[in-house]
Amino acid sequence: MEYNEEEILQHASQGDRDSFGQLYAHYVERIFNYVYYRTGNTHDAEDLTARVFQRAMKHIVNYTDRGVPFSAWLYRIAHNLVANWHRDRSRKQEIPLDDLPILPTKGDHPERNLVRSQEQDVLLKMIRTLPAERQNLLILKFVENMSNAEIGAIMGRSEGAVKSLYHRTLLALRDQLEDQNLNLEGE
Amino acid sequence: MAKRKQTHTPEEDIQFLEAHLAGTLRPISPPKELVQRLGARIRMPSRSEITLRFTDWRRVFLIFGGVVSGMLVLVTVARALYYLAGRKM
Repeated sequence: MEYNEEEILQHASQGDRDSFGQLYAHYVERIFNYVYYRTGNTHDAEDLTARVFQRAMKHIVNYTDRGVPFSAWLYRIAHNLVANWHRDRSRKQEIPLDDLPILPTKGDHPERNLVRSQEQDVLLKMIRTLPAERQNLLILKFVENMSNAEIGAIMGRSEGAVKSLYHRTLLALRDQLEDQNLNLEGE
Repeated sequence: MAKRKQTHTPEEDIQFLEAHLAGTLRPISPPKELVQRLGARIRMPSRSEITLRFTDWRRVFLIFGGVVSGMLVLVTVARALYYLAGRKM
C-alpha cells in the first residue's frame, strides 16, 4: 500500500489510531536510531522512543503543516525528551561512555557488527563530548543521511548555518584528535 | 588507532574524518521484538494519562457508584438464594 503522509496525517490528527500506527511504523526506526546515538544505551533509547510517540499521539491534534515536515516535528519532540533525560541524568550520575552496545547495522554481515574498532570507539566517545546541537547534526547527517536543508528544518537553522556548523564541528573533532595525538588511518 | 603522522594535508584529514564518521555513525536496525514491544506500549495509556483520568471527579464518582451498585446487587442475589435454600431445608 502506498504511503501518503499528507492523508495519513490528516486522519491521525482527527484521532484515527490506525493512521497513527502507520506513522509509527514509518518513523520508529529513525527515531530509535537518533535516541540510541544520543543516549548510548538501548534501554533508555526504547523508553524515550516510546515517550516520543506517546507525546506525538497526544499532541497530533494540534499538528499543523506549516512547511515543516512531520519528521522535523517528531525529531524536535525527541530532541526535547533527550535533553530532559540528559539533564535528569547529570543530576544523578554520569553515563558510562563505553557502554554503547553494538546493535546490528543495516547492510552489513552480522560478524562484522560484533567488532567495533578501537577507532570507532574513540570517535564515538569524542562525538558524545560535543555540544548537543553538534551531536544532533552528525547523527542526522550520517545516521539519517539527511541534507543540510532537512537538518536545518529540524534544528530551526538555515541551510548555510548548518553547513557552517558542520564544518566547525569537523574542525573541532580534528583538533581533538590532534590534541590526543591520534590519527585516523585512511580506509 | 595510530599515532599522528604529519603526512596528511588538512583537507585529507577532514576527508578521513568524514569517512570514519560515516563508518561509525551507521543506521542500526532495532530488533523486531523491540519495535513490537514499543508499539504495544504506545497503544497503552501512559502513566500521566491514567493519573489524569483519576483527577476527573465525575468519572471517579461514576466508577465508584458502578462498583458499589454492582456489589449491592450481588449481595441481594446471594441473600435471596440463601433465604430460598434455607426455606426448602
